[in-house]
Amino acid sequence: MAYEKLLLRNIHRDDSHTIDVYLANGGYQALRRVLKEVSPDQMLEEVKTSGLRGRGGAGFPAGMKWSFLPKTRDKPRYLCVNADESEPGTFKDRLLIEKDPHLVLEGIILSAYAIDCHTAFFYIRGEFHKGYRIFQRAIDEAYAKGLLGKNILGSRYSLDVLTYRGAGAYICGEETALLESLEGKRGLPRLKPPFPAIVGLYGCPTIINNVETLANVPYIAERGGAWFAGIGRPKNTGPKLFCLSGHVKRPGVYEAPLGTPFMELLNEHAGGMLHPDRPLKAAVPGGSSMKVLPASRCDVLLDFDSLAAAGTSLGSAGGMVMDSSTCMVGALLNLAEFYAHESCGQCTPCREGTGWFVKILRRLETGEGRPEDPDLLLDVARRVEGNTICPFGEAVAWPVSSYVKEFRSEFDDHVTRKACPFGAASVR
Amino acid sequence: MPEPNVPVPAQVPPQPELPPCGPDEVALLIDGRPVVAKKGATVLQAAETIGVVVPHYCYHPGLSVAGNCRMCLVEIEKMPKLQIGCATQVAQGMSVKTTTARVKDTREGIMEFLLINHPLDCPICDQAGECRLQQYSATYGKGESRFVEEKIHHDKRIPIGERVTFDGERCIKCTRCVRFCDEVTRTSELTLVERGGHAIIDTFPGMALNNAYSGNTVDICPVGALTWKPFRFAARVWFLKNVPSICSACARGCSVDLAAYQNRVHRITPRHNPEVNGWWMCDFGRQTCAPVHDMPRLTRPIVRPAPGGPGGTTGGGAAPSMGEAVDQAAAALRAAASRHGAGTLAALVSARLTLEEMHLAKKTLAAAGIARIVVPPHEEGQDDELLIRKDRTPNGRGAALLGLGAPDAAAAAALAADVASGKVRGLIVLGEDPVGDGLVRAEGLRGLEALVVVDWWTSATVQAAHVALPSCGYGESEGVYVNCTGRAQRTRAAVRPVDLAEPAWSILREIGRRFGLAGAYASAPAIFAEIAATVPAFAGMTYRTIGEAGAQVGGA
Amino acid sequence: MSAVAVPVSPETDRRVDELLTRYPRRGSALLPALYLVQDEKGWISDESMAYVAGKIGVSPAFVAGVVSFYTMYHRKPVGTHHIQVCRTLSCMLRGGREVMNRLRSRLGIEPGQVTADGRFSLEWVECLGACDTAPCAQVNDEDVALLDPAKADALLEKLGQGR
Repeated sequence: MAYEKLLLRNIHRDDSHTIDVYLANGGYQALRRVLKEVSPDQMLEEVKTSGLRGRGGAGFPAGMKWSFLPKTRDKPRYLCVNADESEPGTFKDRLLIEKDPHLVLEGIILSAYAIDCHTAFFYIRGEFHKGYRIFQRAIDEAYAKGLLGKNILGSRYSLDVLTYRGAGAYICGEETALLESLEGKRGLPRLKPPFPAIVGLYGCPTIINNVETLANVPYIAERGGAWFAGIGRPKNTGPKLFCLSGHVKRPGVYEAPLGTPFMELLNEHAGGMLHPDRPLKAAVPGGSSMKVLPASRCDVLLDFDSLAAAGTSLGSAGGMVMDSSTCMVGALLNLAEFYAHESCGQCTPCREGTGWFVKILRRLETGEGRPEDPDLLLDVARRVEGNTICPFGEAVAWPVSSYVKEFRSEFDDHVTRKACPFGAASVR
Repeated sequence: MPEPNVPVPAQVPPQPELPPCGPDEVALLIDGRPVVAKKGATVLQAAETIGVVVPHYCYHPGLSVAGNCRMCLVEIEKMPKLQIGCATQVAQGMSVKTTTARVKDTREGIMEFLLINHPLDCPICDQAGECRLQQYSATYGKGESRFVEEKIHHDKRIPIGERVTFDGERCIKCTRCVRFCDEVTRTSELTLVERGGHAIIDTFPGMALNNAYSGNTVDICPVGALTWKPFRFAARVWFLKNVPSICSACARGCSVDLAAYQNRVHRITPRHNPEVNGWWMCDFGRQTCAPVHDMPRLTRPIVRPAPGGPGGTTGGGAAPSMGEAVDQAAAALRAAASRHGAGTLAALVSARLTLEEMHLAKKTLAAAGIARIVVPPHEEGQDDELLIRKDRTPNGRGAALLGLGAPDAAAAAALAADVASGKVRGLIVLGEDPVGDGLVRAEGLRGLEALVVVDWWTSATVQAAHVALPSCGYGESEGVYVNCTGRAQRTRAAVRPVDLAEPAWSILREIGRRFGLAGAYASAPAIFAEIAATVPAFAGMTYRTIGEAGAQVGGA
Repeated sequence: MSAVAVPVSPETDRRVDELLTRYPRRGSALLPALYLVQDEKGWISDESMAYVAGKIGVSPAFVAGVVSFYTMYHRKPVGTHHIQVCRTLSCMLRGGREVMNRLRSRLGIEPGQVTADGRFSLEWVECLGACDTAPCAQVNDEDVALLDPAKADALLEKLGQGR
């Protein structure tokens, strides 16, 4: 069945990142119409109707988040675009930023308009040098054409968009850590409540949205929330960018409606497993922080609710695929080291627990594991989960607990053999 | 048709009724007990009011909330995750549970995490005995560790400041010290560097933790990461006996605890007093326990030939009893008065004396006919924005209220000139060292026929004295100071005086007796009672009404 | 503000000043100002930290805390060609370790080190968000994709190693 590409409609055009190509293909028409005919509240309602859920990892309904803003206007409102894409396995926002920045920018302007915000910040991870240059140029182009700045397209609405580069910290993808970083500090997540919609950037009401989330808004503006809600599945609406990498033939970003089966993504979009003689062993559909699925449970639909029911999560849709050559202990050790490097260090369970996981897993992987170590991993993970300032606790606890649970015999094997059964061919 | 034999569902025991509360209050349950708390209060604060301890490290009432240690996680009905008590505001009808199995299990987990990289330094750590890791391990910990790995190592014994030592391995990264320097002293010398398990406290090269309040970081550090260098290895805290008192280093009069062991005050720490010093005190005040031990004490009375009289060197001196020395002192003063007139006698009275000592000074000087009384000032620097006063005496207000006069530089200079020029023939010096302070030169004292000094150490003035009478040093006797805001506060004795030293009021009483002073003046409280009865500003005050927090003097 | 030595060029100093009013609060200028200093000098010294602290109006310790938090600020000089290889799962699954091993042996240094002539340095970095081109790396701010040991050799030759 032919699926109309929306988010990736433009990316294969030459110079797709330029405003001229974007305009030539109907870009900014939605904005033009909304500024003339649609009130901010109506725009917000359309987004609510669309059922658009956040595409950064939490899947929180965007329209509902916007409606948490207080009614008062004694402080300015800010919109922060979360372009800190750092979840291992995720590279969809980067594609949009590099190849269709104006789609994102039009989404930013429409969203800022809907929430009566006049200054937006584009927080992009420091490592996205190319994306930063492209997006800054897109912003400059927009200003030059009167699509940003004072009185956009002759309307009474004004908006400034400022870029801000991160400097290498995964935790700055957490919305309050992003705010701390934007304020010029260490990226330490804040205690919640208060929530950013009430007390956010510089203490002002702030909405933080993911790049892909905002990229959907021009379509919602153009064709309506009800139309959008017709794509995907109930409560899991809209088109979705799915990333697939690891042991697949064609790693990449693939657009399909929410609810697409994982096996269809793997076999039809990504070309199936990399080596025909190495079958699927495990996959994380939603990025490294989500629970791993053994091959036997990969027959799932890719949407928020289906994956939650399957015991994992859609997360950032950063799918990673592991074939039979993968040592799951080694894979988990690789991720555990990631989390130990990226922990901000603020709160006790994460600061101490992430390092502990690495040390136990190193011993397991090098043949010095003890029989009680797998259970120890599970118990330490249990003590981290739910007890931290921010979801980073779950982000490390879920992989640890799920890899050990789903591949327990492999962990036990490392102990009894006093060696990694996969030897040098394993992940490490 | 209803089934007659269907059992009636068990009754849910009724919840305790929530008490009524005012417009700014909410009523909630903590462990089933009703509590009324102000709106905006946290669960931890509300629990404190009913004696429910919610263990915590990073929370401190004098600092912003950090919420990072996670030790204060408690169960709150209807909330699926545990919530930190230090940051969760109370709400009407909230039900908090701090003793469930889930909370206990979580506390065990936090304790385990805190200890896995913590060095087993207890045997050599100053914090032992007042360490929250120790206390909470005993109360909330599992009692055993499952950690068999190599711990993360950091530098130890770092001279993070002139008076503060830092041990990186003991640090639990609660950030109390960082918040203190950011929010209280606003000097921001401390920061966390690195991140994750390697996060650690540090200073910027060349900018050490040397603000005047650095010692408070040691107090608030829940573990032995920050230690007070003068106290390092000095004494185990469980041997220390804390005596509440008042600091004497300046006119602020911070409430303090003097910690004594083996008849020595080993350290001074602030005592919480919301009216005076909050939770803090300055570093100078902390160091005032050292001089009485380190400086050469005047342990016994000294009597020497009069400096200006025959055989007038100041070397050597006989060692009489207190009574004999007092006799000599009175005789010398009387002789000078009769030879040159009472108008040639003067007194230097220190603003470091207590009210009781000043009261007896006034009585005794009156009895002896000495009318010229000078209170020299001791000022250094400026009042800062926190606690430190440029007036480095604890009782200047007291001197003024008792009619001795406020500290007066001009009067002191005039007196010094008159001593040097020989206009003053007899001088009684109470707790002052005019020679050491540069007010007069030792040679300038030669014209005095009677130099009587009451002090606790062998100052230059004591060495020039005709009669030197040993008094108590700081921490060796009790008495009242009045601070810069007019607050009367009690000091207490934490250690015994050395050898023959006595409180100055007792020495002054004896001198006064030689001039016919009547009245028992048997104890400091008794003297204070007379002050309260005769000086309107102190009307109605007693040691009890002053209490531990002090009391404002009337019309001060 | 006490006089702090200005360790950067007048042009960089001017651009730092411009940053101070670009954001609604001056504090936000800290991260971009550090980048400006690093762009000119290649790394961030204690002197640079004190300079930036003075501009922003925060303590030098605060700046040290920020600099040490983020991986992209170098606290010692890096090579002219700073090669950052991704170590996270998808890159490892596709042979990232072999790429780094080749670079290590060709350059004779370990990750975290600089060659004696100062031209090359190596660093392990976490997921670069380019998993579709795994194993991937960055050289300074340029992306390098789909590496393998042979391509690592070619990369070093292109960068002039051995010349």
